[in-house]
Amino acid sequence: MARNDLQGSLDLLVLKTLAQRNKLHGYGIVLHIQRASDEVLQVEEGSIYPALHRMEQSGWISSEWALTETNRKAKYYRLTAAGRKQLQEAEEGFEQLVKGVRAMLRYA
Amino acid sequence: MSLLRRIGNLFRRSRIDREIDAELRAHIEMRIEDNVAAGMTPEDARRDALLRFGNPTTTKECAMAADASLALDSFWRDIRYALRQLRKAPVFGATTVLTLALGIGATTAIFSAMNAVLLRLLPAANPKELFFLHLPDDQPYGAHSTGDSETSFSLPVFRTLRQDRRAFSDVMAFAPLSGGKVAVRFGDGLPEQAAGDMVSGNYFSELGVAAATGGTLSMADEDANASVAVLSYAYWTSRFSRNPNVVGQTMSIKGIPFTIVGVAAEGFRGLEQEGSTDLWIPLQRRAELVPWGDPSNQTLYGSPDWWCLRVLARFAPGISAEQAVAEANASFQAEAYARVATPNEAHPRIRLSAVAARGVVGLGDFNEYGQRIRIMMVLVTLVLVIACSNVAMLIVARNAARQREFSLRMALGAGRRTLLRQLLAESGILVVLGSMAGWLFALSATRKLATWAQLEVSLAPDWKVLLFSSMVSITAALLFALAPMRSATNAPLTAALRTSAATSHHSQRGGSTVLTVQVALCFTLLTAAGLLLRTLLNYEHTNLGMQTRGLLVFGITPQKETTDATKLRFYHALLEKMRAVPGVQAATLVGARLGSGWSSNDEPKVDGITYSFSQVPLRTNVVGPDYLRVLGIPLLEGRDIRESDTAASQHVVVVNETFVKKLLPNTNPIGHQLGGLKNRYTIVGVAKDSKYRSVDEAPRAMAYYPYTQNDDSRSTLQVELRTNGNPMTMLPTVERAVHDLDPDLPLEKPMTQIAVFEDSYSQQRLFSRLAMFFALLAALLVGIGLYGTLSYRIGRRTAEIGIRMALGAQRRQVLSMVLRETFQIAGAGIAGGIPLALIAGHFMGSILYELKPDDKLSMAVALVGIVGVSLGASFNPARRASSIDPARALRSE
Repeated sequence: MARNDLQGSLDLLVLKTLAQRNKLHGYGIVLHIQRASDEVLQVEEGSIYPALHRMEQSGWISSEWALTETNRKAKYYRLTAAGRKQLQEAEEGFEQLVKGVRAMLRYA
Repeated sequence: MSLLRRIGNLFRRSRIDREIDAELRAHIEMRIEDNVAAGMTPEDARRDALLRFGNPTTTKECAMAADASLALDSFWRDIRYALRQLRKAPVFGATTVLTLALGIGATTAIFSAMNAVLLRLLPAANPKELFFLHLPDDQPYGAHSTGDSETSFSLPVFRTLRQDRRAFSDVMAFAPLSGGKVAVRFGDGLPEQAAGDMVSGNYFSELGVAAATGGTLSMADEDANASVAVLSYAYWTSRFSRNPNVVGQTMSIKGIPFTIVGVAAEGFRGLEQEGSTDLWIPLQRRAELVPWGDPSNQTLYGSPDWWCLRVLARFAPGISAEQAVAEANASFQAEAYARVATPNEAHPRIRLSAVAARGVVGLGDFNEYGQRIRIMMVLVTLVLVIACSNVAMLIVARNAARQREFSLRMALGAGRRTLLRQLLAESGILVVLGSMAGWLFALSATRKLATWAQLEVSLAPDWKVLLFSSMVSITAALLFALAPMRSATNAPLTAALRTSAATSHHSQRGGSTVLTVQVALCFTLLTAAGLLLRTLLNYEHTNLGMQTRGLLVFGITPQKETTDATKLRFYHALLEKMRAVPGVQAATLVGARLGSGWSSNDEPKVDGITYSFSQVPLRTNVVGPDYLRVLGIPLLEGRDIRESDTAASQHVVVVNETFVKKLLPNTNPIGHQLGGLKNRYTIVGVAKDSKYRSVDEAPRAMAYYPYTQNDDSRSTLQVELRTNGNPMTMLPTVERAVHDLDPDLPLEKPMTQIAVFEDSYSQQRLFSRLAMFFALLAALLVGIGLYGTLSYRIGRRTAEIGIRMALGAQRRQVLSMVLRETFQIAGAGIAGGIPLALIAGHFMGSILYELKPDDKLSMAVALVGIVGVSLGASFNPARRASSIDPARALRSE
């Protein structure tokens, strides 16, 4: 249960985002999470960066500097094979969490 | 851990810092652009962007912490992973660490010996300015010398050099008080012996050796030839348990009172090459205290053509050794030839030279010593190469077996860099463990080496050695990580699915090349060891020309007898006393102890004709009655020296075969006259050639004078006793008999005559044992490497061999297939090793004794050794291959 905390959820969101898009910079990931969740999930934008750096050090994602459409230099992230495996685990873990919470709520 | 992180971040922080800044700034600016595009004013857009972003500083710090701690985490993860992998293969780990420890340890030990003996500078200030002055052409013709003729200078020459301020900023001189030790006495104590040097007044100040307590010597002490002495720290410790009250007390050296003024700094052992010096006194004027204790010279100051002082110079600042020597040469030559005949064609003008004051003493015998150490360094480096290549092969083989693991991990997304990091961690752990074990091994080995080499020098590794050994280790770690890296990261993803039968023949060829090189190096080492072993055997089996078994020898220096007549009476009484000791068959005297490296030399003057020393060098010795009979040297003609040859009787001399051959051929030598010294001596006997100075000397013309008729070296004589049984067991009885005569008289260096000769080649013994050890180590390592590689290959080829056998191959054929592979490697290795061994033999030529550098027997022994190692290593794998059960082998795939 300890791993299914909110930080784990942010990791899951980021990994899922990168799994759907080939490569994205941090700002793009924030925009995608907001749009894809119909603006339900609002993250403090800066908090995504410690998560990105941690996941990069863990080998789940890799990064490179590239130019944006508006010709600005930005750091792009991409999912690695290890990250894909991690995403699968995280998704399963999250499903378990949701299942558990839902069961709890129904029990009353 | 936090320290490690900080150190790691020192190198990365600024770059990480800049990158994170740029990344966060890009984010905020993109948000502002989007906001503006959505219709906000620039100010609102900025405020909104910052609000949404949160605190950028905190964000940055969190991101950086993630980078740093996780990078470190992954470092520990690599280490933990590597340790886990090594734990899974304990035999591999232990073999690797042990191989590395032996290789690195042996190399470090020899390097620290080389460092101490050849490279280490003196403990003085600016030690690179210090040089030993040196005479490549010996003394000027007509002068005489004591000590090593290449390093002995006269007092006037030393004084002249000292004046030359353009060449030298200072010049020091020193000389031992005797060839061995001198008699000393503290207060009313018993007589003892100590090694002493007389030195110039600037000796301590120029060498930068301070006093541990009291003071040292000054120029004023030299000018006054003061009766003051400085003790060495080691002597102060062993003799006086560091009692500070010793300073100020009086001691006697050869019966002359001296005041102890101080103790030299800890660790200073003097500049004598053979042992440490116990005490130093200023240069002396007295006849009792002359350099080398040589009584044939009146005094140091009264013998201007006596070359006996060693000279150490500090060159003037900013001047090179060549410039200084060239500068000083004119005044040196003027003084050198002031008292002897001017040089001519037969005796060209001698010149001054200089040798950097490094290591023990960079001169004389130590040139040969240095040569031996350099050869050992080369041999041990070969062992290190074999050890490292063995480890590399082991790692490659192990990683080849892990090909599937690598492929799988790359398929799962591990980057090349991650893999490299892990391989580095693995080889790093092996090398660190191997180096630490090697360092411990080197520490104990250097202590033993110093004892075996009879060097009273600290061979202990210093920072230079540590640096050397770390360089070796780091190179090894990188090599071991990179060698398997290529095959590991080039592992195609599909390799994960392949079966083990698909062996890469490319890597197999690489392995065979390494093995061939190893065999070649091992062959060279075995040949070198064979050469040195045969040299040692030649030393041991050299015919000395006498019967050494049963001979006891010790030195005696009469203390109370001062005149010639009383000394002669004393020695006569001593011989009588010795002959009466039960168990002593016979006794005689000799001036220079046989086999000790000492000799007296002269120019022969036969029947009035003088021969130059370079034509016929004449060795001389003074001997007691019945010398030839007691020593067991055969008498060829005439008679031995007799009791009746006294100072008053006709002066006689016994010569040897070579003397007759060179100086009196085709005539009866008996009755001819030899007059090189003060008197004319009539030849009364001819002895067979025998060894004098050392075992390895060539026969030289020799003259034995009765000690009664020649005052050369009469102050100390060696007593030779022929005893029944083991001579050393006689020692207490003999000592009592000597003390009956004079209770204060010490027996100087009592030894068996066999031991004296054996000690004369103790260096050769040590180095040949070292070489044998290295060769055996190399053979063992090559054997292990061959065994490991063959076993591994057989294991990989189990299926193939199974198929062959299923198709009708006989066991014999499988056996010969494996052996063929072995002998291809051994044959190629030997073919490569022969020229290498010839080169090695060529470089070792100067340290071989009665042996050609291309000695066939040594090579044959090496060849047999290689064949033996190859057979031994391939026996088990070959048997395993031939006993493969085809049915089971095929099923296992």
